[in-house]
Amino acid sequence: MDIGFIGQHLVNGLMQGMIYSLVAVGFTLFFGVLDVIKFSHGDVLMVGVFAGLTAFFGLDALGIENPYILVIAIILFSTALMALLGIVIAKILILPLKGAPPLNILLITLMLGTLLRESVRLFYPNGSNSKAFPAILPTDSFTWGNFSLRLDSVMLFVAGAAVIVGTYTLINRTRLGLAIRAVAQDEETARTMGINFGFIVLFTFALGSAIAAFAGVMNGFYYNEINFSMGLLLGAVGFSAAIIGGLGNLYGAILGGFLFAGLQTLAAAALPFSSSYKDVFAFAVVIALMAWRPTGLIAEKAYARV
Amino acid sequence: MNSISIYRNIFVSVLLGTLFVVAMMMAESQVAVLSLIVLAAVSCIVLQKKGVIRKLGSDFASAEKFANGTIMIGALATAVVFAGDHFILLMLTTVLIYVVACLGLNIQFGYAGMVNFAGAAFFGAGGYAAAVLTMQTGLPHLVVLVIGGLVAVIVGFLLILPVLRTRGHYAAVVTIAFSLLFRTLVEVSPVLGGAQGSPVTGMVIFGWNFNEGYQIAGFDVSFYINYFLFALILTAVTFTIVRRVERSWIGLNMDSIRIDETASACFGMNVARWKVTAFTIGNFFMGIIGAFYAMMLGFIAPNNFTFGDSLIMVSIILLGGIGSIWGIILATGIVIILPEKLQIIQEYRFLIFSLGVILVLLYRPNGLLSRAARTYFPGLLRGAR
Amino acid sequence: MKQIFRIASILALGALAVTATNGMANAKDKVTVGYIGPITGKVSAHGIAGRNSADLAINLRNQDPNSKYEYELVALDDECKPNIGIQVATKMATDKHVSGAVTHFCSAVATGAVRIYHQFHLPVVVWGAISPSVTYGNDYKEIHRTIGTLTSQNKVAVDFLTGLGYKKYVVIYDTTDYGKGHLEAFANDLLATDGELLEAYGVAADQQDFTAELTKAKSLNPEVIYFAGLSDLGIRVRNQMEKLGIEAQFAGVSGIISDTFIDGTTASEGSLAMRQGAPVEVMPGGPEFIKKYADADYKDPAEAYGVYAYAAMNVLLDAVEEAGPDRQAITKALNTMPAKEYSIGMVEFDDHGQNVNSLVTPLVVQDGAWVTWDESEYASGKRTLKGK
Repeated sequence: MDIGFIGQHLVNGLMQGMIYSLVAVGFTLFFGVLDVIKFSHGDVLMVGVFAGLTAFFGLDALGIENPYILVIAIILFSTALMALLGIVIAKILILPLKGAPPLNILLITLMLGTLLRESVRLFYPNGSNSKAFPAILPTDSFTWGNFSLRLDSVMLFVAGAAVIVGTYTLINRTRLGLAIRAVAQDEETARTMGINFGFIVLFTFALGSAIAAFAGVMNGFYYNEINFSMGLLLGAVGFSAAIIGGLGNLYGAILGGFLFAGLQTLAAAALPFSSSYKDVFAFAVVIALMAWRPTGLIAEKAYARV
Repeated sequence: MNSISIYRNIFVSVLLGTLFVVAMMMAESQVAVLSLIVLAAVSCIVLQKKGVIRKLGSDFASAEKFANGTIMIGALATAVVFAGDHFILLMLTTVLIYVVACLGLNIQFGYAGMVNFAGAAFFGAGGYAAAVLTMQTGLPHLVVLVIGGLVAVIVGFLLILPVLRTRGHYAAVVTIAFSLLFRTLVEVSPVLGGAQGSPVTGMVIFGWNFNEGYQIAGFDVSFYINYFLFALILTAVTFTIVRRVERSWIGLNMDSIRIDETASACFGMNVARWKVTAFTIGNFFMGIIGAFYAMMLGFIAPNNFTFGDSLIMVSIILLGGIGSIWGIILATGIVIILPEKLQIIQEYRFLIFSLGVILVLLYRPNGLLSRAARTYFPGLLRGAR
Repeated sequence: MKQIFRIASILALGALAVTATNGMANAKDKVTVGYIGPITGKVSAHGIAGRNSADLAINLRNQDPNSKYEYELVALDDECKPNIGIQVATKMATDKHVSGAVTHFCSAVATGAVRIYHQFHLPVVVWGAISPSVTYGNDYKEIHRTIGTLTSQNKVAVDFLTGLGYKKYVVIYDTTDYGKGHLEAFANDLLATDGELLEAYGVAADQQDFTAELTKAKSLNPEVIYFAGLSDLGIRVRNQMEKLGIEAQFAGVSGIISDTFIDGTTASEGSLAMRQGAPVEVMPGGPEFIKKYADADYKDPAEAYGVYAYAAMNVLLDAVEEAGPDRQAITKALNTMPAKEYSIGMVEFDDHGQNVNSLVTPLVVQDGAWVTWDESEYASGKRTLKGK
């Protein structure tokens, strides 16, 4: 295989990895503050893209054509709306269930996912069909032999990286981030230190959901196609990625996301069996990794409360 | 306490329950189905508020054998009522099949505290074993059932190392990954019929052909009655085994591991051993019943064993109340029958269904019938000694 | 007191009116017919369109003063899952009121369910599933199908594409039996020509990303990328080909033909596809169907295959008109039905109940619409396909 194709596969994998990582970051944030798995995460992402698409139609109807205004407006609208949805979900479904068996939150968010998915399918105009996501980013492409890279892909990748860096800075360099980390480490101590627990939880859910919306919009701009069931598999993959990386750890989520994408690409591109086995291969490796590192590649600080 | 009143209470409530099931299965129109659902919901809430449900619960617990027997008779009576109705018997049998599968899952989830999101995969492993064995060999079908269970166990052993080493959410991902993997694997592998699916032979045991109906006194009896009766026997056997496990020292060990793994290990319990036991027994039940399901439907395809189907099994367990056998039986009935009965609202039914589950979990976080605390003297009439 | 009288008299009048209209309706006997399709789940767009179209056929028939019966529709959802399909097929087939049914969009569901219809003697006309095994995998007299099988389609595809001079092919197929069936038929037919199948990539039916497969395909330098699957996936493959700068001609099976494909792709222009039958606009009864569907004001569009459910329902209703509501009589009427023209073209069943007149028309996307090849500017040489 020549170097151009290797480069192409690398770029493909990196783009996918970025999307997976963004989804995984959300899982890790929720798990950090509340020790919960929010399974509707993938579907929140999906609702986010549809919100973005609606914003596009709205602006289009107003006659706004400048692509940069459009892109920024789509992202802002979608992330803001999903942040709000995240707060509502946390307030109505997650916080009241804090005392219940942890699996209940899993089931309830699972059902919420179905609810969101079915709602978009039934109530979004012609929602059961795939929709084109506008390709408004510049599509100038750079070709070098067999390697082809489009400007929009580069822009999306950079934007995704910026979001991850921003989240990292927020968590590790600000007072708010300090409070989030404090809650993640020990809720009760954090409370006694005067941290507003409810606020921190709501903020984290808003943040995680907004990142999901961003990942969704990025997914939309990259593949130019969205549909009501896109969140299901992205959610499962994002969750797996967060887990193999090690829950509650931003690095872990990022590592997991890229690793998963890498495995899929490797299986499809370089391994001798049919590419339809690529998911089988990726998930088999995940299982094997879990046997080797039971708490993820970057292990949680292990201590057990007895 | 007056033991006659206990028997009377049990009898009356089982009778009412059976009548309700019969009415529900018969209900065709939108109005009838919805009013039955409302009736059930309202009367449960009222009875709960008045403390009747708790009273009934203790009645059932104190005369267990009688209660189980009455319920069995209720089930048989329902079958007699619908003896000529293929579809209703098929639905009732499907409920029993899912009850067995979920009881298997319950040993893992409810007792040993092991999450398993690959229920449909083990179920499917049994089903595929049945497809291959009935189509390509002449093995007796009872043996096929057992092999179906064993195949699920063997498949489970592939996962045993990661499952043992991980806990909580980390264990969840192992089974989620396996569930996604299994479906893709059976879909792309040509050996097992691929996405096209594979036909399965109907069940024949000692010359008793399950796919043949009867004529009794000029009345046509559906062939599904064979499957129903056999499923009822399987359910009763599984129920008994699961109850025995729960109440034995095995169950006690599993409970202790679920509640606190670290502490149990400190007291010298062999955590791995009990986890392997729970995982194996659970998968065995799922495999057996998966093989049975395949033989009843006569056809299986990968789409029956998706991650979504595993989640349905998990939601049955959580909805019924983790670890609660009767809760699971109740929840299976609801989860299997309700979407079917809601066919009248067509494309909106999953929306309504998921909303319903959310509401139930918000207001009954421990499930519909949560598992009672251990009493250590099951079956004893309270105050009798 | 007066008021009570007034209300009572209104009620009485209303009741009278209701009985009167009922009386009129009762002049005809009621016949119940069924519809089964995926009304929820991923392919629900097609299932809902099919249900509406079947409903439309029934409404129009009921308005027709010459029809002998008053028809009523029972619609059930198979979720595109074989086990649920068998459940609802049993429900439909064992419901004594149902005289016949129009069933299934998904081939795996249809393959599993035909046994049930046979067992309970319910005559059915399959409207959307195109795997050959539905009709040819058995000898059931009850099973009929108005839509063609995928075998006929790929024969035409191969002849058409090699006729254009394309020699090197890569196939991307989804691993459901739909995609796989197409792949096998296509590969088999290609052997008889000078075309060469370089590689075939199986992909999952819910896969998002195809860049890895496409990058591999690109390295083989194919002239045509032939896609076997449904429109959702087709859209993604087409978009990502563009992303990777692949300069091969894109051609697809009938499953990609939908408005969604054109709306969903950024580069649909010049895409080829094989249409089972003709596009609805040029079908004998197509424009009429489109108009009536629009007049009926359904919430959802008719999609590409709505007209097939409409035609299948009309075939069934004609059989009922001829033979009455008895199941066996309907089966017989369908089996001996003379060739007749429906909205999708001529319908004539062979001894497996398969419609032998499965016309296949190559289409091309031109200016945001599917156009028959022969009438397109590509055929007349005004525009050119990739690599020409």
